[in-house]
Amino acid sequence: MSDREAPSSDDLSLPKATVQKIVSEIIPADLVFSRETRDALIECCVEFIGLISTQANDIAEGEAKKTIASEHVIKALQELGFADYIEPIREVIQEHKETQKQGRERKVGKFEASGMTEEELLRKQEELFGLARSKLNQEGGTSG
Amino acid sequence: MNTDDEYIPPTANQPEQPLPIIKTRFPVARIKKIMQADDDIGKVAQATPLVVAKALELFMISLVQESCNQARMRNAKRVSPAHLKQAVLGTEQFDFLAETVGKYPDPIALSGDKAEPGTGPGRGRRRKVVE
Repeated sequence: MSDREAPSSDDLSLPKATVQKIVSEIIPADLVFSRETRDALIECCVEFIGLISTQANDIAEGEAKKTIASEHVIKALQELGFADYIEPIREVIQEHKETQKQGRERKVGKFEASGMTEEELLRKQEELFGLARSKLNQEGGTSG
Repeated sequence: MNTDDEYIPPTANQPEQPLPIIKTRFPVARIKKIMQADDDIGKVAQATPLVVAKALELFMISLVQESCNQARMRNAKRVSPAHLKQAVLGTEQFDFLAETVGKYPDPIALSGDKAEPGTGPGRGRRRKVVE
């Protein structure tokens, strides 16, 4: 999903439509979020991102790491009192790893797609060589 | 803010609300940009904005649900910034937002005392919000 808005670096915020959609997935059918409230919510979200990022950054720096990794975010959440978020996040990390793994495996696809073991493939190869050889001998007709 | 002593945080009385499954995703690239808008933040690993997005989703669910509680307790059908403000002030996890919500009006007091005329959410309208 590409962002349609192109905010200036000072106005960096979350897309209003996306936030509105998510809000409507959360709230009960009989309640409505006013526009002002949605905007206030967005402000809070941006603050939250900043809070987590700063804490995670400090943790990474403390480990002499230049890149903020998922583990740093997890530690940050722990330290900031959001430990209940950690388990769902570990699931996200796991899914991400699986997706990456599948991407790599797809490149080796031909081997797996054949459904045969390496031995079977070798045998098949020999078979084909044999056939080709006999065909060559018939056509070539070299004597002696 | 003269009702602090009488006011009981609603989270103590609310039953556990089921966690909704959200289908809409945050734009991960945008989250990365927001993170890196701070000059102190350097490189982030590929999974990191995804992880922050998930944390943000959980945060939003929590804040939105609590704001709805605040609206319900006041028999309101529209969830207003005042309700969100009270959700923040009543939840320890959201202490970091106290300053951010300071500018929003205070909600109706729930202590049982009738609000004086001239006080209450109506006062908040003196400030026009320009969109």
